[in-house]
Amino acid sequence: MNSTLRRLLHRKLALGSVLVILLITSAALFAPEIAPYNPNEQFMNGLSPLGSPLAPSSHYLLGTDLLGRDLLSRLIYGARTSLIIGILANGVAVLIGTFLGVLAGFLRGPTGSAIMRFTDLMMAFPALLLAITLASIFSPSLLIVALVIAMVNWVQIARVIYTQTISISEREFIEATRSLGASTPRILFKHLLPHLLPTILVWATLGIATTVLLEATLSFLGIGVRPPTPSWGNIIFENQSYFATAPWLVFLPGVAIVLLALAFNLLGDALRDELDPTQRGRS
Amino acid sequence: MIRYVSRRLLQSALILLGVSFITFFLLYILPADPAQQIAGRSATPETIANIRVQLGLDQPLFVQYWHYLVNLVHGNFGRSYIQRTDVSELLASRLGPTLYLMLCSILIELVIGITAGVIAAVKRGKTSDNAIMLFSFIGVSAPQFILSILMLYVFAVKLKWFPIGGYGTPEHFVLPALTLGILGSGWYGRVMRSSMLDVLRQDYIRTSRAKGASELRVVLVHSLRNAILPIVAMIGLDIGIFMGGVVVVESVFAWPGIGQLAWQAIQRVDIPIIMGVTLVSAIAIVLGNLLADLLSPLVDPRIKLNR
Amino acid sequence: MIPLLSVRDLVKTFGTKGKGGDVRAVNHVSLDVQPGQTLGVVGESGSGKSTLGRLMLRLLEPTSGSIIFNGTTLSDRGTKDVRRHRRQMQMIFQDPLASLDPRMSVRKLITEPLIIHRMGDKQEQSAKVHDIMDRVGLSIDALDRFPHEFSGGQRQRISIARAIITMPQLIVADEPVSSLDVSIQSQILNLLLDLRRDLNLTYVFISHDLAVVQHLADTVAVMHLGEVVEMASASEIFNNPKHPYTQALISAVPQIDLDLRRERIVLRGDIPNPQKPPTGCHFHPRCPQAMSICSQEAPTPLLLEVPGVALGVHTVTCHLYTPGREE
Repeated sequence: MNSTLRRLLHRKLALGSVLVILLITSAALFAPEIAPYNPNEQFMNGLSPLGSPLAPSSHYLLGTDLLGRDLLSRLIYGARTSLIIGILANGVAVLIGTFLGVLAGFLRGPTGSAIMRFTDLMMAFPALLLAITLASIFSPSLLIVALVIAMVNWVQIARVIYTQTISISEREFIEATRSLGASTPRILFKHLLPHLLPTILVWATLGIATTVLLEATLSFLGIGVRPPTPSWGNIIFENQSYFATAPWLVFLPGVAIVLLALAFNLLGDALRDELDPTQRGRS
Repeated sequence: MIRYVSRRLLQSALILLGVSFITFFLLYILPADPAQQIAGRSATPETIANIRVQLGLDQPLFVQYWHYLVNLVHGNFGRSYIQRTDVSELLASRLGPTLYLMLCSILIELVIGITAGVIAAVKRGKTSDNAIMLFSFIGVSAPQFILSILMLYVFAVKLKWFPIGGYGTPEHFVLPALTLGILGSGWYGRVMRSSMLDVLRQDYIRTSRAKGASELRVVLVHSLRNAILPIVAMIGLDIGIFMGGVVVVESVFAWPGIGQLAWQAIQRVDIPIIMGVTLVSAIAIVLGNLLADLLSPLVDPRIKLNR
Repeated sequence: MIPLLSVRDLVKTFGTKGKGGDVRAVNHVSLDVQPGQTLGVVGESGSGKSTLGRLMLRLLEPTSGSIIFNGTTLSDRGTKDVRRHRRQMQMIFQDPLASLDPRMSVRKLITEPLIIHRMGDKQEQSAKVHDIMDRVGLSIDALDRFPHEFSGGQRQRISIARAIITMPQLIVADEPVSSLDVSIQSQILNLLLDLRRDLNLTYVFISHDLAVVQHLADTVAVMHLGEVVEMASASEIFNNPKHPYTQALISAVPQIDLDLRRERIVLRGDIPNPQKPPTGCHFHPRCPQAMSICSQEAPTPLLLEVPGVALGVHTVTCHLYTPGREE
């Protein structure tokens, strides 16, 4: 593991990605300390005489939004929202996906087939459509949004884990461990899972990129995280109409979203190259 | 071969059945009450109850579902709660623009992606390669709505070259198709690059170089033909991906396709339309996957149509 | 003497989901393994010997027939019971690199059987591990290293260590030296001999290499296409082979001593297709002494009297030895 870490850090892009992620995570963690203002506070002098958002100034470093709230503070707190949902949703997706994938791959037989047929079914769903329908229907809490995203995301992980589980469980050391008298739980946890860990890690990383994007999209449509809780997606949603006159209101959160997703994608890709050179990637 | 196709079609039909049931079920258990939506805020409980009976919403889940299926077989997708039109009509009128957009964007994705991938492969390791790869990563990491808004801002608002959304003239086409095309090309670009690199390594490429063929000919004629095969199978999957995200793009560009239709329907809890769009999208996804699977043996003769 | 392990009428069929016929890997095999003895099981690849080995430990489920270990009918027991019995019966695999979990340290690998069968506390287990390492000829600082860091022979020692740490009664060794360099082979074989003596082990030694079996085995069973065609004491098999197949196999064993060199019997034809075995005696298409009855009727095992030999049990499955047919 140590040599992997070292090699990883040598790839500049991966290093950059880790820095970006650390930066954004710190912003999210220390939001109350870093943010200049309360993100939900609508300032009396936060709007122009005409009622439109203010441009960046020494007072409000990135300007204000349509309700006179400080954009910078909202962005910083937005990082919190995006990361929490991204990690939570992805965590649930990885859990479900791994559980079902291992079950199907290890047990095989009718159970395995049934589970795989089910994933085929889930893949046929137009994902976003499903997410949108679910999100707009259920009450808008962070948890619900995260769960909806997880529901849509677990399928890919399940299939990858399934194939991996099959190939690992057919290796001789699994049979050898069984011949020692090991019980199935022991084989699963002490032998199978450690071999799956690299794959799980790669998909956990890549998955966060997807969940962050999905949350942003849902919030942008107005059905993800609801204002006043700031999320990068819903900042864009609220301030759309000003994108001609105050484009930074839309682009700053936009850049933040792309940056975060990009960082996780690059990191995940680099991890994949390191941990499993047979996977398709750069040569 | 025929057996494989018919088996897959049967599987697909079952999958679609499953999709329709799950969607129906989810819509059934949702907290919002369509009868209430239709009746409006000031309606009396009797009116609402009447509407429920009219629409058959008072019947148990399976009965409703059965009716739906029976109608479906006759080509009847039901009637919109809000718009008082047959869903099938709505779908038919909206499907065109969506399919049109899908075709154009996939074309652009292919053009950009393949070109980028080939160049990146040929110039492997150099700055252009790294730059192209970085761009393709950005393409995968950017949500559609962000690039859409960016494109609109730069080209429609500032430069005023194109209209801000809508449908009708060829100008209306450019921005949405270009946006999707650029975003989607990232995926194709990466696959093309690694496929091209694999092919360029092969002995038969070395042979044709030794025979004195010009580098351009080697790349374009000999390598490309083989390297492009994996891409072909990806197109089928791309259709599915497009269908999944169609709502966002059509919303931003005010594109009158089934995505926009679905979005409006979701906001108004117009269940028949939601069902209809979901089904149509699922059909597209399933067909796309089937196409991809059928094409993969052509790509790699070692893959047998076994499942 | 009660045999340590008995198999009766053991059959294992593998289905092939319609492509060709089903494969009868093990076809009505019955034999006994006496405690303290070494049974050698030999045959070509495809003869079913590996399958037989796995069936004996119930790593594979028999299609029919019974397995009796130490008086207990193993084939009747549930999985939990079988798992407990594994403490007494272990397996050594052919490819140590494949059969050892590459992510586990040697210490973890060797201690695992003790953990599984809850033998001793941490201290006792550690002492046991050290003792075993000594027995198999590995140094203690190997404990914290990983399988891929070792040579083939050392890896096989690790495998052996893992197999004997629970002090089993029976060890099934499936081609334990086939993947090793010839120079290392004898080292490992000698180790196995020493362990047998020191720990009072019973071996079932599976190999395609008769020269190797010669060193270790007391009794030898010769398999062909899922059946035991001949079984006798090692000396009988090597000096007095009865079955034509055995004779051909023995003739191929290299002998340095010129006096013992035999005439090489070359078998005609290929190994028959296990999905469509020949009619009658499965060996008849290749048999240099085939008779007309051989293609019609499958022979049954016959017990031969061998005058003046201690282990006087010699079983042959061949029409040549049907009473009345002796020349």
